[in-house]
Amino acid sequence: MSGTSDIVRLDALGPGGAYRSRNIQTVNDIRGEPFAELSLVPPLFVARTMSALRKADPLTLEQRLDAVARAGRAFATGTVGGLSAEDYQHAVCRVSGLPWVTTEKAIEHTLRYTERAYLSSQQARPAGAVNDWRHPRTRNGSGVWVRRGEVFAVHAPGNTPSAHTLWLQSLVLGYRVAVRPSSREPFSPHRWITALRDAGFGADQVALLPTDHATADEVVRGADLAMVYGDDEVVRKYSSMATVLPQGPGRSKFLITKDADWTSHLDTVVSSVSAHGGAACVNTTAVFVEGDPAPLARALAERLSVLPSLPPQDPKAVLPVQPLDSARRIERHLLATAAGTTPWLGGDGIVDDLGDGTAVLRPAVHQVSRPDAPQTGVELPFPCVWVAPWSPEAGVGPLKDTVVLTAVTDDETLVDRLVNEPGIANLYLGDHPTHWLAPGVPHDDYLESFLMRTKACVR
Amino acid sequence: MVDDLDTVLDTPIGDSPDPGEFIRAAMRWHFAPGTGSPFWLARARTLDFDPLTDVKTVDDLALFPNVCDELRDVRAEDLVPRGYGENPDVCGFFESGGTTGRPKRVVVLRDWFVRSQEWISRSLDAHGVPRGVNWLTLLPSGPHMAGYAYPQLARDRGGHGFSIDMDPRWAKRLVSSGRAEDARAYADHLLGQARYLLRSQDVGLLAITPPVLERLAADDELTDLVRKKVKAIIWVGTHMDASTRDLLGSEVFPGLALIGFFGSTMMMHSCSQRVTEDAGELVFDPPSPYITFRVVAPDSRKQVDHGARGQVVVSHVSRSFLLPNNLDRDEATRVPGLPGQVGDSLADVTPVQVFDGEAVIEGVY
Repeated sequence: MSGTSDIVRLDALGPGGAYRSRNIQTVNDIRGEPFAELSLVPPLFVARTMSALRKADPLTLEQRLDAVARAGRAFATGTVGGLSAEDYQHAVCRVSGLPWVTTEKAIEHTLRYTERAYLSSQQARPAGAVNDWRHPRTRNGSGVWVRRGEVFAVHAPGNTPSAHTLWLQSLVLGYRVAVRPSSREPFSPHRWITALRDAGFGADQVALLPTDHATADEVVRGADLAMVYGDDEVVRKYSSMATVLPQGPGRSKFLITKDADWTSHLDTVVSSVSAHGGAACVNTTAVFVEGDPAPLARALAERLSVLPSLPPQDPKAVLPVQPLDSARRIERHLLATAAGTTPWLGGDGIVDDLGDGTAVLRPAVHQVSRPDAPQTGVELPFPCVWVAPWSPEAGVGPLKDTVVLTAVTDDETLVDRLVNEPGIANLYLGDHPTHWLAPGVPHDDYLESFLMRTKACVR
Repeated sequence: MVDDLDTVLDTPIGDSPDPGEFIRAAMRWHFAPGTGSPFWLARARTLDFDPLTDVKTVDDLALFPNVCDELRDVRAEDLVPRGYGENPDVCGFFESGGTTGRPKRVVVLRDWFVRSQEWISRSLDAHGVPRGVNWLTLLPSGPHMAGYAYPQLARDRGGHGFSIDMDPRWAKRLVSSGRAEDARAYADHLLGQARYLLRSQDVGLLAITPPVLERLAADDELTDLVRKKVKAIIWVGTHMDASTRDLLGSEVFPGLALIGFFGSTMMMHSCSQRVTEDAGELVFDPPSPYITFRVVAPDSRKQVDHGARGQVVVSHVSRSFLLPNNLDRDEATRVPGLPGQVGDSLADVTPVQVFDGEAVIEGVY
């Protein structure tokens, strides 16, 4: 990363080092000012990079772990590619409009994960498998845990820098990795790949491949396995491909049954809705309440209404900011979607014009009349929550299609059904926010389940 | 067997006939009952101007409506100018790729074909492409002109032509019906056939479309074979971006001549890229006044300024065929033509972009 005047240059990072393309995408900040230049690579560059990654031998496990840990420290606290951690945070906020709190949490997250990357990955190893064929257990026959491929590609999301810690696991396992950054927030993946290279991964081990929309598929196709973030359409597109792991909308949910006192969980609900600027897949999209949902909706609206409207790079900023016209577009979409619901907050709109061409997306709380109201599946990139009535008769149906469900309930029969429901990826019981995560705990299944397999070995 | 005294229409391309004289002679040829084609003679009765008196210059070609759509259904024989007599030397009725619906059909008579081929050959000389080598062409054959013209060019330049069928309509159909994997398998199939030829035969020149060339360049064995044997690569089609050209020229095939051609069946010709030192520049000059380009704003159809982008309008005027004012599906930057050329040249030709709407996509990524 090197500056020409004030514009930050984000080169592609290919097997021959930094690559400055003739095809430049200007990344504007949220006020519409050019802020960075992203080098978009052509399909041929992608194909040649993938070929180089495939030919390269992985580093040894010790080298990998050491490099990931060092890269993590540099990412969180060091100067990488000429940007200090604080400059990096500013860049992310200015370009994506994500609030300062999001980058802070990402850095915190990074340090926790990179130090424990290996232990985390080992949590996912099947109990019957060992890591190495030399292990004594293979003398009597054992499973050996091996990679399903050599090259892993990631279409990275732009909604939170925290998401990048997930694909780091693949490096620990010995994959060579190509990341296609989101043009909305290319700084984090550029910083990661640069930090990983500084820490010892070769240019044929990790690559950054910014592409236009049309070339994006080449990144997936050139890899053995790929993880792609996107909307429902992206999930549909890739769901039939065994080599692609689509990461769709989170639509996280919160359930409070009548045996629980919601007032003592209000803090957790507020945090679930609004932490990370409300822009993560683990932010709560819908809250289901057994009984009358109105008191909780009112209390939630009161608490969310006091969050300050600030420019994203303000250290106290907690709400996302967008260019004014794009904020208005989201607002129109929200108001149209919310037709027929009872607004508790944001019923007249959620745009707070900051007067510099940008606007804060303020929280919205709407009450719907039925547990299966279609709005409960509408996930938007700011603290936007739908509060719905729920009853045992409604069952688990409305709670499905969920990355994280937090259930506050004493009903163990219900918990049994929730645990066994395939449409709920993660279940948190009791007073845990939907955005809770810890190293070694799966996010949406262990990524290792996708990256690894067990192979029988006897000697 | 040309029954006309307007010999200006038979001028070799490089000799740049006087454009006004040329256009007026072409109008006399195409709109006289004894020489014009049944198609144009019938069509002339519906025009709100008289081509014989109102079309005096290349600019006046803009008076013509775009008749391309009519070329989908017209009887092919009705396209042949009567002036060629009872036994016209027809090279073929060639068809468009079918991007914009049912195929359109044009006729190419021998005299135009020979002139066009000679001009292409001269531009290959200017690019330093060797003669006397065998060509391998992976280009649309069948009803399209490329598969007819390029192997012939190989023979005209003292080599042999190896060719591999390529059906662009099938490839487009696969892509448009969401079968991208099948389209890739088809490209692999083409390359598989090319592999046998490159392994066993002397191939000094490769003529290929950009997408297939890119696939070839990602294959280690094929890349090595091309590096060892091939002296020049001609890519034929409308578009290859500068970054890809850079990579191909500097990293994948260093030292090989890499020459772009912009052509189409509806143009009845291919224009080679301008000879220049700047690898980033990709300009196509037409052989005016036979073929002329204009670059217009898509809505107003007004010509854009030099350096600005717009949609390409192609006019073909020869004794063989008249296809004026054809709004092409490509867009390009308008650049000044070479000295003596009538009309524009084109830089950075790309297919017309379709922009996304303004809808909010739900989700957080």
